[in-house]
Amino acid sequence: MMEIFNILEIIITSTLRMSVPLILASTGATFSMRSGVSDLGCEGMMIGGAFFGVLGSYIFDNAWIGLLFAALFGMLFALQHAVLHVTFKVNATLSGMSVNLLSAATATLLLQIIWGRHGNSPRVSAFSKIQADWLKKLPVIGEMLAEQNILFYLSLVIVILAWIYMFKTNSGLRLRMVGENPQAANTVGINVVAYKYFGVLMCGLLCGLGGAYLSLGQLNIFVDGMTGGRGYIAIVINAFGGFSPIGSLLGSLFFGFFESLQTIFQGKLIPSNIVRMMPYILTIIVLSIGIRSSKAPAGVGKYHDE
Amino acid sequence: MELIKMTNISKYFHHVVALDGVDFYLNKGEILSLLGENGAGKTTLMKILYGMISPDSGEIYYKGQKVNFHRPLDAINMGIGMVHQHFMLVPAFTVLENIVAGAEPSKGIFLDIEKAREEVGELIRRFNFNISLDDKVERLSVGEQQRVEILKALYRKAEVLILDEPTAVLTPTEVDEIFVILDELRKEGCSIVIITHKLKETFAIADRISVLRDGKMIANNVDPKKLSENELSKMMVGREINLGVKRPAKNIGKVRLRVKNLVVKDGGRKKVDNVSFDLRDGEILGIAGVEGNGQTELIEALTGLRRPESMELELNGKKLEGDANTFLRNKIGHVPEDRLAMGLVKEMSVKKNLILGYHREEDFCKNIFLDEKNIEKYAEDLKAKYGIKASHIEDPISALSGGNQQKVVIARTFSRDPDVLIVAHPTRGVDVGAIEYIHGKLLELRDRGKAILLISADLDEVMTLSDRILVLYEGKIVRECQQGELSDVELGLLMTGGNLEMALGGEI
Ligand SMILES: Nc1ncnc2c1ncn2[C@@H]1O[C@H](COP(=O)(O)OP(=O)(O)OP(=O)(O)O)[C@@H](O)[C@H]1O
Ligand SMILES: [Mg+2]
Repeated sequence: MMEIFNILEIIITSTLRMSVPLILASTGATFSMRSGVSDLGCEGMMIGGAFFGVLGSYIFDNAWIGLLFAALFGMLFALQHAVLHVTFKVNATLSGMSVNLLSAATATLLLQIIWGRHGNSPRVSAFSKIQADWLKKLPVIGEMLAEQNILFYLSLVIVILAWIYMFKTNSGLRLRMVGENPQAANTVGINVVAYKYFGVLMCGLLCGLGGAYLSLGQLNIFVDGMTGGRGYIAIVINAFGGFSPIGSLLGSLFFGFFESLQTIFQGKLIPSNIVRMMPYILTIIVLSIGIRSSKAPAGVGKYHDE
Repeated sequence: MELIKMTNISKYFHHVVALDGVDFYLNKGEILSLLGENGAGKTTLMKILYGMISPDSGEIYYKGQKVNFHRPLDAINMGIGMVHQHFMLVPAFTVLENIVAGAEPSKGIFLDIEKAREEVGELIRRFNFNISLDDKVERLSVGEQQRVEILKALYRKAEVLILDEPTAVLTPTEVDEIFVILDELRKEGCSIVIITHKLKETFAIADRISVLRDGKMIANNVDPKKLSENELSKMMVGREINLGVKRPAKNIGKVRLRVKNLVVKDGGRKKVDNVSFDLRDGEILGIAGVEGNGQTELIEALTGLRRPESMELELNGKKLEGDANTFLRNKIGHVPEDRLAMGLVKEMSVKKNLILGYHREEDFCKNIFLDEKNIEKYAEDLKAKYGIKASHIEDPISALSGGNQQKVVIARTFSRDPDVLIVAHPTRGVDVGAIEYIHGKLLELRDRGKAILLISADLDEVMTLSDRILVLYEGKIVRECQQGELSDVELGLLMTGGNLEMALGGEI
């Protein structure tokens, strides 16, 4: 009995931990898609966040400043996407991919230049578990929650705020209108370009935070390739969750669960390589079955002035 | 009082002159009908007034003040509202969301949806609109969508209302309903510009007429009371137009297409409910009905675009089954309902659009390659024959005016010599000259023995062209009649689910 409970506890704790970067990135993707801009640059924005988060923390020896760096550089890479796609009307797939390529290359290059190292950065100060004894005392879930760091709570707040913004505020309605039909939005006097920039920059900000969680939340270094395609998985989660922040949250927990199985089965029963494939296999399954019924905003990729 | 004055407005699109030194004015409390052929520049002129397009030269005065509109918001803030030629709605939003988006009532940063509901509800009551606020727009009929568009402008307290072909997609009853609203607005002091190709409507509602031709304003102050319809159309296109001349079929041949037990379901509801009919060579069979009564689904089933729940279809006595391509290759031509959604690829050139769907046929191919030379010749030929106004066949469809886009669809289908033609709203948005031409073409094809199924929201069109009429109501054929057998009032009654015997009985 105790055994099962322990396993459950481990699974849930690690599910929550694995979900955080996905929650942040897929909520970011929601902003981008809802503003009518394809979100293919998520992976690159996450890499940017992961790397520059570490750099910020390295320079100032402060994880919070690292987080700020992650947000800003996530937005910088998003800006590249926005300028290319929104202003210069470059195909969104191309401009999104250019973000992914550029940020991965930037990280590798700067690792070499700044630290003269291949593959990973030195250790920096990172986020640790939340220190709250009262939390631990909560029945059942207390221990699991106390295992998380502050970014977990931050991501929950962000999801709720994002949902309120999108579905309860004037500005959110306008953002959605831009994403559904930019021409119509333009004719009612909405500044389409501004909203698209906003959507993409929010995506960059949140993906940046998601990336920082990987380097500063789960570890305390940057490792080349550490995002492991999570940016792409976030895109799928976002679609799976019906392009809504709450849906993205639920989808992320679902994916996080499968990722967490790694921790349990590692080295036992099933070969770990197979276990590690789980999230990717799940992505393929969801891509081919799960998101068929989910309809993307109708105006993605369209411009108001054509 | 002159509310709006536009002077010497010019607009060029690359080398195309859309407007050439146009003067325009609008008085307070009047309804102005802006007329002109397809591509004359009506939409462009109104988009300039609405701040969507900036003119290359010219000035705009509003209440005597010079204004510069850089974007629609500037015009909206001045009290100018516009209903566009092509719907500007979000299908996934509710009616209410569509109406208020961009000008929402708020509590702080939050959307005050209850206040929005109240305000819009008030408008709906005042003008007697018939619409439910919580329906998704994707479920509405075009007539309802048109009302949402008008409500959008009214909600923004428009003192000036620009309506770009608001009636093109409406049935006569729906047009009447809209006109009652416009009349009410006029009484309240609202000034209205209405663009239409139906002169009957101009006479029914307009106080004044302005006529554009080839980008020039050729008459700014025509009194509709002092002019006949013929004189007016002559003014627009420079020649006499004869519309509404009936020419019954002489040689109706054998059954070409036999439709039996057609049932189409959509989301559990029967959209087409057990429809059967024959279509013969050399006849035009008209389908009369208020839009949304199964026409769309009927067309889709008969062109292979949708697999119906049940249907036995025979072409030339042989069973026909397959996808849209099979139907096309069996010489069933199709003029779709919505030219932009289904008939054309907006970004592609006029030339490519003119062969779309037929691009695999011999005369357009050299082995596996497209025969560009031949295609070019073919496209130039059609452009001249159908009077498609485009500066070049390589121009994208999006650079054409609405009516000219329609001509491209018509030209493509009619020129491939189909045996059966499924034609939906063939003259939607085209000018009187082109209507005459398209009607003439349809009759010519019929006389050459083609079997034609005509679906149109324009009851006049159905009544003029059809040799036989089926009335469609809620997916069922409620009546079949010969040309001239029933009057427009009687047909209108049947189309809305009325019962002829009872209604007439009541009158006597
Ligand atoms: N975006 C554009 N690019 C290039 N040419 C354009 C563009 N918009 C309009 N035109 C051209 O300007 C001319 C006027 O077009 P406009 O749409 O104003 O005509 P219209 O009078 O509204 O015609 P219709 O009755 O068919 O709607 C046409 O020749 C059209 O081809
Ligand atoms: Mg027009």
